[in-house]
Amino acid sequence: MSVWNYVVTAHKPTNVTHSCVGNFTSPQELNLIIAKCTRIEIHLLTPHGLQPMLDVPIYGRIATLELFRPHGEPQDFLFIATERYKFCVLQWDAETSELITRAMGDVSDRIGRPTDNGQIGLIDPDCRLIGLHLYDGLFKVIPFDNKGQLKEAFNIRLEELQVLDIKFLYGCLKPTIVVLYQDNKDARHAKTYEIALKDKDFVEGPLSHTNLDNGAGILIPVPMPLGGVIIIGEETIVYCSVTAFKAIPIRPSITRAYGRVDADGSRYLLGDNAGLLHLLVITHERERVTGLKIEHLGETSVASTISYLDNAVVYIGSSYGDSQLIKLNLQPDAKGSYVEVLEKYVNLGPIVDFCVVDLERQGQGQVVTCSGAYKDGSLRIVRNGIGINEQASVELQGIKGLWSLRSSTNDPYDTFLVVSFINETRVLAMNMDDELEESEIEGFCAEAQTLFCQNAIHDQLVQVTANSVRLVSSTTRELLHEWNAPLGYSVNVATASASQVLLATGGGHLVYLEIGNGKLAEVKHVQLDYEISCLDINPSGENPNYSTLAAVGMWTDISVRIFSLPSLELLAKENLGGEIIPRSVLLCTFEGVSYLLCTLGDGHLLNFLLNLSTGELSNRKKVSLGTQPIMLRTFSSKDTTHVFAASDRPTVIYSSNKKLLYSNVNLKEVSHMCPFNSAAFPDSLAIAKEGELSIGTIDDIQKLHIRTIPLGEHARRICHQEQSRTFAICSLKNCQTSNEETEMHFVRLLDDQTFEFISTYPLDAYEYGCSIISCSYSDDNNAYYCVGTAYVLPEENEPSKGRILVFVVEDGKLQLIAEKETKGAVYSLNAFNGKLLAAINQKIQLYKWMLREDGSRELQAECGHHGHILALYVQTRGDFIVVGDLMKSISLLLYKHEEGAIEELARDYNANWMSAVEILDDDVFLGAENNYNLFTVRKNSDAATDEERGRLEVVGEYHLGEFVNRFRHGSLVMRLPDSEAGHIPTVIFGTINGVIGVVASLPHDQYVFLEKLQANLVKVIKGVGGLSHEQWRSFNNEKKTVDSRNFLDGDLIESFLDLSRSRMDEIASSMGVTLDELCKRVEELTRLH
Amino acid sequence: MKTENCFAAPPLAEGAAAQPSGSDRTAMGASKYLAGLPSRGLFSSAVLSNPGGIRVYVCDHETAPPEGQVIKTNSTNILIRALQINKQKSDAKDVIAKSAADSNTVKRSAVRTSERRSPPKKTKTSSASTSHRGSSSSELSEKKLQTMTVERLRALLKERGLSPKGKKDELIARLKDEA
Repeated sequence: MSVWNYVVTAHKPTNVTHSCVGNFTSPQELNLIIAKCTRIEIHLLTPHGLQPMLDVPIYGRIATLELFRPHGEPQDFLFIATERYKFCVLQWDAETSELITRAMGDVSDRIGRPTDNGQIGLIDPDCRLIGLHLYDGLFKVIPFDNKGQLKEAFNIRLEELQVLDIKFLYGCLKPTIVVLYQDNKDARHAKTYEIALKDKDFVEGPLSHTNLDNGAGILIPVPMPLGGVIIIGEETIVYCSVTAFKAIPIRPSITRAYGRVDADGSRYLLGDNAGLLHLLVITHERERVTGLKIEHLGETSVASTISYLDNAVVYIGSSYGDSQLIKLNLQPDAKGSYVEVLEKYVNLGPIVDFCVVDLERQGQGQVVTCSGAYKDGSLRIVRNGIGINEQASVELQGIKGLWSLRSSTNDPYDTFLVVSFINETRVLAMNMDDELEESEIEGFCAEAQTLFCQNAIHDQLVQVTANSVRLVSSTTRELLHEWNAPLGYSVNVATASASQVLLATGGGHLVYLEIGNGKLAEVKHVQLDYEISCLDINPSGENPNYSTLAAVGMWTDISVRIFSLPSLELLAKENLGGEIIPRSVLLCTFEGVSYLLCTLGDGHLLNFLLNLSTGELSNRKKVSLGTQPIMLRTFSSKDTTHVFAASDRPTVIYSSNKKLLYSNVNLKEVSHMCPFNSAAFPDSLAIAKEGELSIGTIDDIQKLHIRTIPLGEHARRICHQEQSRTFAICSLKNCQTSNEETEMHFVRLLDDQTFEFISTYPLDAYEYGCSIISCSYSDDNNAYYCVGTAYVLPEENEPSKGRILVFVVEDGKLQLIAEKETKGAVYSLNAFNGKLLAAINQKIQLYKWMLREDGSRELQAECGHHGHILALYVQTRGDFIVVGDLMKSISLLLYKHEEGAIEELARDYNANWMSAVEILDDDVFLGAENNYNLFTVRKNSDAATDEERGRLEVVGEYHLGEFVNRFRHGSLVMRLPDSEAGHIPTVIFGTINGVIGVVASLPHDQYVFLEKLQANLVKVIKGVGGLSHEQWRSFNNEKKTVDSRNFLDGDLIESFLDLSRSRMDEIASSMGVTLDELCKRVEELTRLH
Repeated sequence: MKTENCFAAPPLAEGAAAQPSGSDRTAMGASKYLAGLPSRGLFSSAVLSNPGGIRVYVCDHETAPPEGQVIKTNSTNILIRALQINKQKSDAKDVIAKSAADSNTVKRSAVRTSERRSPPKKTKTSSASTSHRGSSSSELSEKKLQTMTVERLRALLKERGLSPKGKKDELIARLKDEA
């Protein structure tokens, strides 16, 4: 790999941090707006459910998301503040469907200690000012003027230093905040302040309440006419206003989120850290509050945000599990729950660890993540491509073609499956027991290979064989009419629509027939210069039964031609170039755009935009899908048309945002495919592969496919062992025993196919699993799982004791072979030169695997290296060891065999608090740190002085905006040897927000080219809300902010493909390359993930 | 658990009963409170997931905010700002204090002169603060008393030689009676 890196998101953030509901896109429309850390999603509420509208990238990590309605505006504005102290106010322009910036600004202060408890942003309900609490002891006010414009911001000193929550009270003459804070004796109090805008100061407010619940954490202001505030604690809920004070005890729980149900504020939904949902009711007589009630409703994912939508439907946004759409039923179900989950939205966050494996051994990596936390912990198998879930299969050799037929034109389901072989045709049909059995269509010729068959109009069926075209009644199944090929000629290729047949015989003869009621009529016949290799008349115009265009692929001159029907006049001809003949052509329409797809014998696919009226072809693009000839076929899934490309690397072609996308399918080799939508197997596909015919359903058409294995506990480390075909995880389970909540830690063994627990090793009390690897030692052929643990005792700041456990998998069981006590937490384990390298607190320790006299084995310390604060992350390559320290950035160590010692070679002297490290190549190391930055350092082996050689030079810096927990070498995509992307080495990373990303090392010339492209794109693609891309990607921590270097923002570069044609042209011309060339280069990059 | 909570808050025994315990009574309770959830007719028919992806927004228009709406923070130190505001106030106050020493007619003219010298806004604040100062001796509105802390009320009572004991409402009543 190299220092020139390209960072791109393969899976976008899914951790929902904020949500709000309001009239954003129009005064009449109700929207749900969701923040997923660096993106916001706008949804529309409709009578039929949630309709996604827009996914908006934000150049910042969202700290506050609020909808508000300035005076005199018909619809809501969106206020967004980012963690790096930028804010913007957005308005939706319905005419252009664009987000307009109404205001933006920087709210950072030169001095000030950032708050420990997170940034707080709030908007006065009467829209007089925006309040921000960003630094301890300061409250920032951005006032509105009477026209709804924002004015210069100012700070007010806030006496309370440990602020937990701030909210505006409703119905106050002057804007009044209520502050929940903790004093220096850790007691919690609430206090109110009126904001005197003229004096720019606080005035003591009407309420104050001292010595609240020790766990009080959330304030809920209650709208008028009740007014006042609810304070949610861990054991009590308190309502207080000027006139009333009510308290209610609750079962101890930590409330994480609330959502208001009624506009008058009499009901609230509360979600706690165990995922329990409660309803809080303020009972009142007219405007007098009489009490509080709390009711248990049921269980959801652990909520980070709750938004009541409408009609008892609630959105639960979660950081620790899948976000949900739930319905509150009036009556409880059998389990006493009022909650009905309508829908789940996949969330991979937080990805604590992951591994890259090739379970299906297809040469394509899959990522298995430890996702979620607490009860929502799960494993997720993330695979690029689309899965076929096999429902049934039969052994059948030598399939040459597959078609499905309905028993009548109006039948919604397919009945027959016609399977063609080299010299026979067999018909399979669904019987009464929904089984496939051999059947017969009397009118069909069973003794010859079928070239094509099709349901035709007037309840007829068409079969094309080498000698004839047969028209058969689908009711009587008898032959109605037959068209015979001229003597001496045989039909080579054929195709048909419901009312047309087009076939080609030897000698370049092209014959066009039309299907009448019980009759086939030869309408036109032309002779072309060369032999015809493939044909298609798939109707892509308005009439689904009749095509006005025919596509024909030719031998010899290697061209594809478009003819008009019925006249068979040549409309367009496109030479394909090269010597590989076209094997399959297909006319199709995606999202209203017509295409001609054409595949070559060497696994390439060409696509053209097709003008339906003139037959003109334009916008030629070429991609490589495999190495063998490809057969194209359309199918539909969820009412959308897709194309299946059957070859040695089967692919589904679909369209998104009017862009063709290619997704590979989890099958090895497919020779033929046809849709088979039967009553027993609805929406299925029939697939012919090596000696087998199978029927299966297809996953949702999307680029990444995610399978969830719920664990009910929090998996923290994972690794895979090839030899035993198992995964091992370190996990923890929260157990609720009466009053005590205890944690239990386990090492668990899972089957790598079924993902079932097959063996469990419980760890001791207070013992945490910190690291796990699969390794083998020199002089020992067994594969072992090694687990590093720590005893986390409540009275210790840093663990002083841990263990290394060595397991072997025998008969599907974890057998403990050896165990070694350590003087600290084993944060990392690595297989190293046939030995085991452990990072134990501040020390790197190497262990040998020794044979004892009695034949048993043990770990024996060989050598070590001190000098770290905490050596948390260790990677090795050859004899080199790269250590990521808690706060001392990256250092490079070398193991010296002769001396049996580990020595430090070089280190980075910056004070970076590391969260992950990886070795890119012999000289370059990649690190991630806790201010969401990435950086690379390089070894200076050629430097003149020892001092310089002892320093790792920082060569790349970049703000990722994501907290990386793990890097792993590998790739999510199948690497095709002939594509350029096949040679680019990649590292995958996983983050807290559920992002899976790729760092790809580019050759220098490509990097320079893309850097120029990025610079051009920044001028065209603007940051939403006026936020700057340059500032967003600049490396930033407490000490410094520097521009990013040697990293490229792949998400920005790939959004080039979403630009309008004119914008693309603009950029291509300023880059000095043709648009086709530019598109091709960017499309290559999209195939990295 | 349940009894413990009852002891902890005897007057709120009802709250304890409403705890999530899965008993029939609470089940009925939740149904009662779940009735009449707000609805505007959305999510009325079968709630279906919408297949297909969400459009990714690519922003290729100018996103700079309108003029004057790039917001910055006033960089004056809070202390200095407070001193400045105080100074403005005390300037105004001096004028009024001086005039208060004179007769009423002079006061009026003094106010007028101050009006001439400074914008009317500042006069307003200053007069507000005068009334606040003067409040220890004269009229105390119920509202103003309500906003005061108990400590302050007690101080006022002591000033008047009244008993500073009792609840806030009683203190206010006593002050009002006195007035």
